[in-house]
Amino acid sequence: MLSSMAAAGSVKAALQVAEVLEAIVSCCVGPEGRQVLCTKPTGEVLLSRNGGRLLEALHLQHPIARVIVDCVSSHLKKTGDGAKTFIIFLCHLLRGLHAITDREKDPLMCENIQTHGRHWKNCCQWKFISQALVTFQTQILDGIMDQYLSRHFLSIFSSAKERTLCRSSLELLLEAYFCGRVGRNNHKFISQLMCDYFFKCMTCKSGIDVFELVDDYFVELNVGVTGLPVSDSRVIAGLVLQKDFSVYCPADGDIRMVIVTETIQPLFSTSGSEFILNSEAQFQTSQFWIMEKTKAIMKHLRSQNVKLLLSSVKQPDLVIYYAGVNGISVVECLSSEEVSLIRRIIDLSPFVPPQAFSQCEISNTALVKFCKPLILRSKRYVHLGLIGTCTFIPHCVVLCGPVQGLIEQHEDALHGAFKMLRQLFKDLDLNYVTQTSDQNGTSSLFIYKNSGESYQAPDTGKGSIQMPYQDTVVENKDELEKTQTYLKVHSNLVISDVELETYIPYSTPTDTFQTDETLKCLSLERNRLTDDYEPLLKNNSTAYSTRGNNRIDISYENLQVTDITGKGSMLPVSCKLQNMGTSQSYLSSSMPAGCVLPVGGNFEILLHYYLLNYAKKCHQSEETMVSMIIANALLGIPRALYKSKTGKYSFPHIYIRTVHALQTNQPLVSSQTGLESVTGKYQLLTSVLQCLTKILTIDLVITVKRHPQKVHNQDSEDEL
Amino acid sequence: MSRLEAKKPSLCKSEPLTTERVRTTLSVLKRIVTSCYGPSGRLKQLHNGFGGYVCTTSQSSALLSHLLVTHPILKILTTSVQNHVSSFSDCGLFTAILCCNLIENVQRLGLTPTTVIRLNKHLLSLCISYLKSETCGCRIPVDFSSTQTLLCLVRSILTSKPACMLTRKETEHVSALILRAFLLTIPENAEGHIILGKSLIVPLKDQRVIDSTVLPGILIEMSEVQLMRLLPIKKSAALKVALFCTTLSGDISDTGEGTVVVSYGVSLENAVLDQLLNLGRQLVSDHVDLVLCQKVIHPSLKQFLNMHRVTAIDRIGVTLMEPLTKMTGTQPIGSLGSISPNSYGSVKDVCTAKFGSKHFFHLIPNEATICSLLLCSRNDTTWDELKLTCQTALHVLQLTLKEPWALLGGGCTETHLAAYIRHKTHNDPESILKDDECTQTELQLIAEAFCSALESVVGSLEHDGGEILTDMKYGHLWSVQADSPCVANWQDLLSQCGCGLYNSQEELSWSFLRSTHHPFVPQTCLPHEAVGSASNLTLDCLTAKLSGLQVAVETANLILDLSYVIEDKN
Repeated sequence: MLSSMAAAGSVKAALQVAEVLEAIVSCCVGPEGRQVLCTKPTGEVLLSRNGGRLLEALHLQHPIARVIVDCVSSHLKKTGDGAKTFIIFLCHLLRGLHAITDREKDPLMCENIQTHGRHWKNCCQWKFISQALVTFQTQILDGIMDQYLSRHFLSIFSSAKERTLCRSSLELLLEAYFCGRVGRNNHKFISQLMCDYFFKCMTCKSGIDVFELVDDYFVELNVGVTGLPVSDSRVIAGLVLQKDFSVYCPADGDIRMVIVTETIQPLFSTSGSEFILNSEAQFQTSQFWIMEKTKAIMKHLRSQNVKLLLSSVKQPDLVIYYAGVNGISVVECLSSEEVSLIRRIIDLSPFVPPQAFSQCEISNTALVKFCKPLILRSKRYVHLGLIGTCTFIPHCVVLCGPVQGLIEQHEDALHGAFKMLRQLFKDLDLNYVTQTSDQNGTSSLFIYKNSGESYQAPDTGKGSIQMPYQDTVVENKDELEKTQTYLKVHSNLVISDVELETYIPYSTPTDTFQTDETLKCLSLERNRLTDDYEPLLKNNSTAYSTRGNNRIDISYENLQVTDITGKGSMLPVSCKLQNMGTSQSYLSSSMPAGCVLPVGGNFEILLHYYLLNYAKKCHQSEETMVSMIIANALLGIPRALYKSKTGKYSFPHIYIRTVHALQTNQPLVSSQTGLESVTGKYQLLTSVLQCLTKILTIDLVITVKRHPQKVHNQDSEDEL
Repeated sequence: MSRLEAKKPSLCKSEPLTTERVRTTLSVLKRIVTSCYGPSGRLKQLHNGFGGYVCTTSQSSALLSHLLVTHPILKILTTSVQNHVSSFSDCGLFTAILCCNLIENVQRLGLTPTTVIRLNKHLLSLCISYLKSETCGCRIPVDFSSTQTLLCLVRSILTSKPACMLTRKETEHVSALILRAFLLTIPENAEGHIILGKSLIVPLKDQRVIDSTVLPGILIEMSEVQLMRLLPIKKSAALKVALFCTTLSGDISDTGEGTVVVSYGVSLENAVLDQLLNLGRQLVSDHVDLVLCQKVIHPSLKQFLNMHRVTAIDRIGVTLMEPLTKMTGTQPIGSLGSISPNSYGSVKDVCTAKFGSKHFFHLIPNEATICSLLLCSRNDTTWDELKLTCQTALHVLQLTLKEPWALLGGGCTETHLAAYIRHKTHNDPESILKDDECTQTELQLIAEAFCSALESVVGSLEHDGGEILTDMKYGHLWSVQADSPCVANWQDLLSQCGCGLYNSQEELSWSFLRSTHHPFVPQTCLPHEAVGSASNLTLDCLTAKLSGLQVAVETANLILDLSYVIEDKN
């Protein structure tokens, strides 16, 4: 009954599973990826390059595989992209972890790890690693994103403040996205289609709400037509309902419409009531009354210029007849999603037939530009020209393709693209911890790390004397000098100008580069410090770098350290003024909406590079270890992307070029022209780390040989 | 509570196209479709071992809908052909054969799928833009002022379906009927937006094909007894028609979700019948001559109407409702009282008719856009095939009305197109490759595969061991019979090219289609007089062929791009 796995074995098992999955997804990753054909139990066929779909179609039974698939699908639900990269990255992470366990034959071990090898050996437990992963994800990753990576970010908006989007940059973004999602010969066309759709639906005031609307109602906003070539797909104005008119009366001019959710014809009895028939005459009178009432309601609708009736239920023949007589077109049996979409677009509440009939005006009507049948491949649809009251201008996508499976793929990809844009248009909050104790001078800036260390000797010697310690951020050399003067001014500083100046030239090439670059990058990024920082800033500011425009702000931290701290106690920043003994502080910052990077593994290589640098400065072995593993695993993604390329475009060339550019402070050159969302990449990274943590914390898998049972909800019991 | 069941894991196979099984099944499918192609195509008999009826056909729509395909790759291929056929009716076999050929030819080359797909797409767009261009040498304008080209188009469709078993005379007769039926559906005084009417095909089995006919209006089949009971209507003016979509049988309609309590002694049936008779009175007082009901009319009401010299016909069925509404101009009535006078329509006249053993009630319209095509055939199987063919022809005529061009048939378009692509890729490869990463050698290889795929489609027109040639001037197709003596003098052996546009009296040079030949410039821009003089051309529908070409290449690309097949075993 029970099959158990050793704790250490779980990584091995997970690696095996992940490698199998990697083999499948890596064939369809990137611009060179190919299609996978899935059959459904019903016999239908589906073409897909969507990693999430593929993983689901496999119906995996292995428990770890199921954990992975669950993680992927929850990630996809949120972001709509990155399932394949998820698997590849996870696989490389597991490989890295696995390599550490059999250290004897491990060539990947780097010097840093060896230095701390002894310590690592003692606490080499998966739980420990998973804790380190959590720490990394919650406290370190955001900082690296914020402080180093952010300087490379481009913005998709042509004007950051108004968030205006130009077509060319959206095209770059979408083309790169569809490259990985649809067939090679269609990605250009589909991305153009999406671009058209996007710009046709948006008004200048439209914001993120449009993405939400399209994302929520995507099924209702597209129509699939089989048997036509893909190139016949198009965007059409208005809304297409996937049913035919019950009655169609051609109308033009002032067309008004109403939505009803119940039958217009009054019935003999409503639910729970009783209708007693005492005579035949009574029956006939009631029938007559019902008829007259229906007739009157329809006439009244007509008098109010209502020429279209949308109904979520089936209407009786009588209603249909009188609608036809009065020139009112009727569409019946709308789904609840269609009704709610229409109501959201035009903000219309359903029409309720008045009980006591009066000639008053009907308030719940909406104006429609047109209402006509639309024939797509000999099937009739209802085509409505709604006049939107919100910022969404209703448009529909007609997707054509030779087979349904291909149409579904395109539909899927378009939906995913909207999810991706929805995420991209949000600001991303970054929260992280900086540490400025003597042990980890790893905080934000490497340049002062050494100087920080130089404090240490006197610091520890003097015992309880408080030492202000600076972490400064400057934008350029001028301000660096300013900093230095500040440093001089501070009487209790042990360090001198000379020391500082001598330090800089002596540092390694990478370090010098970081000096300039980090400073610049921090000033480039808009960092929001919480209000609690303000007094601290003013009191202790050593360098306060500002630029002329308000886009760039301060990124500054100043932490006071005493020699007795270093235990790692964490306290919120707001308390810091009172508690001078804190060594860690929470910083919150945000990545503005619309951050993008060129495609082709740029994000991964950059993060890899900065993580390695970070790891070098790290003093805690777990942190170093985790950073190294993540940094190395990140390279797996560009490696997979460039797998088929040779020569100048092969992965080693790209990697060396990028790293060289980073070290010599040159602008990065990308071989590809697409863009990708940083938010998406960031979320992917965190999702994978969470998934890995989940896998690592499992030490035993128990197989239960019983049919799965439905879990009863506590609430549903109450309802009964 | 729903029962949850553990799902079985799926089966995942990599590189599906390389497996032997897929190759064999693909070649079996290819053999089936190629052997059906063209006027001399072989027929297929499809029957189910468990009984049911036998289908003899050579049409893709009938063939593929009966075939049970299990392999997912074949399923993609067949469904995409079926989807094409259901939207364009024609060129299904062409699409299927071309797709199979492309897959087969390209696989032999061993290039990467990326290159193949990219180049296939370039070649496809080259074909499409050529076929749509003014300089295209294989399409002719369709003149709607004369029936000649239209008849050619219909005749070509009929002759390409050998399972209809038509003689030459019958072909001529049916082509004329189809064209007439189509012309009857075009409204006479249409301005701007044309809404076509409908031709209803009425089956008349056990009759000779030559007895088929077209009548304006609608035929409602009924038994002789029923027909006798109908009163003869003698009236000079148009007849007033009421068309009911609701039941007139006296059922009590929906009473709502609550309960209805009927006191003892109250008869609802009588109440409803009273209501029906009131309705009858209203109809009589409105001078309605003809009452048609989709559902059942209560016998008492029927009798009442007959007494007042009103003809009542019930159980019309839902299929005839739309044409009836259109033809008579009525508003289908859904009420048992207070009928608006606008809801009535009219017909010019009614009469009874007898065709073969069947009796019909014939509604003759004032203005005809609805007509009935009485299609006769001696047995069920050929009738089914003939009906399908007629529908195809009617659809093709509709498509041609939208896009008034026709392609030269008989395989000439394909050979001409192949010659054009060879010439283009040979002389101007840069314009095709543009900024792509593909090399010229790759382009030559793929172009050769593409052209030979096109040429082997027309190669399969020949089933009797004959040879297929192409001329080096127009790039048209010429076929030689199997037992022709020697190859010395082609001019005497050949008479006409496949489409019938050119004859061999011109100074032409020929070569075998399958042999390698030097690229040449096929003559573009058809001379106008050439088109006018030829009365007996073989023509294809442009819209259907263009779409077929695109679907074939797109589907082939799709199949070549597959790297895995995941089969759900649940």
